[in-house]
Amino acid sequence: MNAPAGLDLASIPDRIQSEVQRAIQRSIKGVEYIASSGPSLGSTPKDILAVRGTMNLYHYRPVADEIYRVPILIVMATTNRGYILDMVPGQSFIEFLLKRGYDVYMLDWTAPKPEEKSLRMEDYVLDFIPDCIRRVQQDSGETDVTVIGYCFGGVLSLLYGSIFNDGPMKNLICFTTPIDFREMKLFSNFSDRRYFDVDRLVDSIGNVPPEMILSSFEMLRPASRAASQVQLWENIWNDEYVKAYRMMDRWGTDTLPLAGEYFRAITKDLMWDNKLFNDTMSVGGRKAEISKITVPILHAVAEHDHIVPYDAARHLIAKVGSTDKEEVILKGGHVSVVAGANAVKRLWPKLDSWLCERSI
Amino acid sequence: MADKSNDPVAMWQNMIGEMEKGFNSFANQAMASPEFSRVVNQVGGASAGAQKQLGDLMEKYLVGMNLPSRAQMVQMAERLQSIEGQLNEIKAMLNAMNSHAAAAGGTPGAPRPPRTKRPPSAGEPK
Repeated sequence: MNAPAGLDLASIPDRIQSEVQRAIQRSIKGVEYIASSGPSLGSTPKDILAVRGTMNLYHYRPVADEIYRVPILIVMATTNRGYILDMVPGQSFIEFLLKRGYDVYMLDWTAPKPEEKSLRMEDYVLDFIPDCIRRVQQDSGETDVTVIGYCFGGVLSLLYGSIFNDGPMKNLICFTTPIDFREMKLFSNFSDRRYFDVDRLVDSIGNVPPEMILSSFEMLRPASRAASQVQLWENIWNDEYVKAYRMMDRWGTDTLPLAGEYFRAITKDLMWDNKLFNDTMSVGGRKAEISKITVPILHAVAEHDHIVPYDAARHLIAKVGSTDKEEVILKGGHVSVVAGANAVKRLWPKLDSWLCERSI
Repeated sequence: MADKSNDPVAMWQNMIGEMEKGFNSFANQAMASPEFSRVVNQVGGASAGAQKQLGDLMEKYLVGMNLPSRAQMVQMAERLQSIEGQLNEIKAMLNAMNSHAAAAGGTPGAPRPPRTKRPPSAGEPK
């Protein structure tokens, strides 16, 4: 009998042997997986500069002999932990920035406590971010600050930059930042104002629990969790795969609750009325039009982002008032564009080459 | 090397990938309908209300059994968090004092590198 085209009969015994070895390794490594605790994340040395309720400001210790004049403040998304940008050595965005000579600060969030359910959008945009900027200025001795916002951290940074458009923000970098919330079609449908009673939800439960946030993310790709478990089992013999899986899985499921009033504002102002896109957004009575932003801006978006689809992000660069502006579309998804092997070779070098000239 | 199109392992992996894509795509289409939103929000709204009532009931039961309730455990965790927060504030103050002392030429803290770095010129290693 002839072998089907392309099938190399001589390689079959080797292939079988390799599969048997992998099957044995799977059993051994599977036990190890259950018994071990996974890699330690977020371990780049840092000092805590301020803790105030849900707000945490870190300063990462510089490692270069000389650093750029302008410090960086990273504003994390309020739904997730900042260690996505500081995974393990070699795959840490923070470590990369430090080695390239940047002075890095991070505004990270912890779970808002039940009594913080009344935190509003203005607490984030008019209090927490300006407070962190002031502290970065004090600590670094520099007036100018570069702001980097990831996902909803980018939205908060845009709101901040729109209102405080006369400084001290010198550069703005947004990663996967939505501004046209109509284009986040599934989130938009989940929160359809005809059926989703946000007032009743917030009034009855206070802060929106992390399980609810996580399940709404997972609903965007309902089969992916099961498929990833199958892929994990297939690759459990491969230590590098398992390490990467554990890092991403731990971060992905480590979702934060959202303060009730803040969630109410996101739903009504952004999801329902699309105010940021329509230039009708205001925060604490102050108009926030992104056309007022004139600082140099870089927006990095992911080609296969299922959380913030390109259509939801693409108008940002067109709408800002800056003349020095650039959008870069990179291969990858919402998370892989900023963290992991994909980011190491694509986003990080791009960001460094854009920012170094603007940090002196 | 064998062609991937005839490799049973590659075929299995490909099938899993295709099934995942197909199911996600099908589910996304179903979830984009207003009916889905109506049903999910009805069920979600009812279950949030029911969960709250059940929680209140359990709270009373645990008090009766002389056991700590979840709310009490959360309160205790909050007190621990608050202590942790205060320790962090003390640490932050110590760091600030340390750097001020260093800036004033007193006891040196961890010295900061100078802010003199320039972008590498073309071709120069980073």
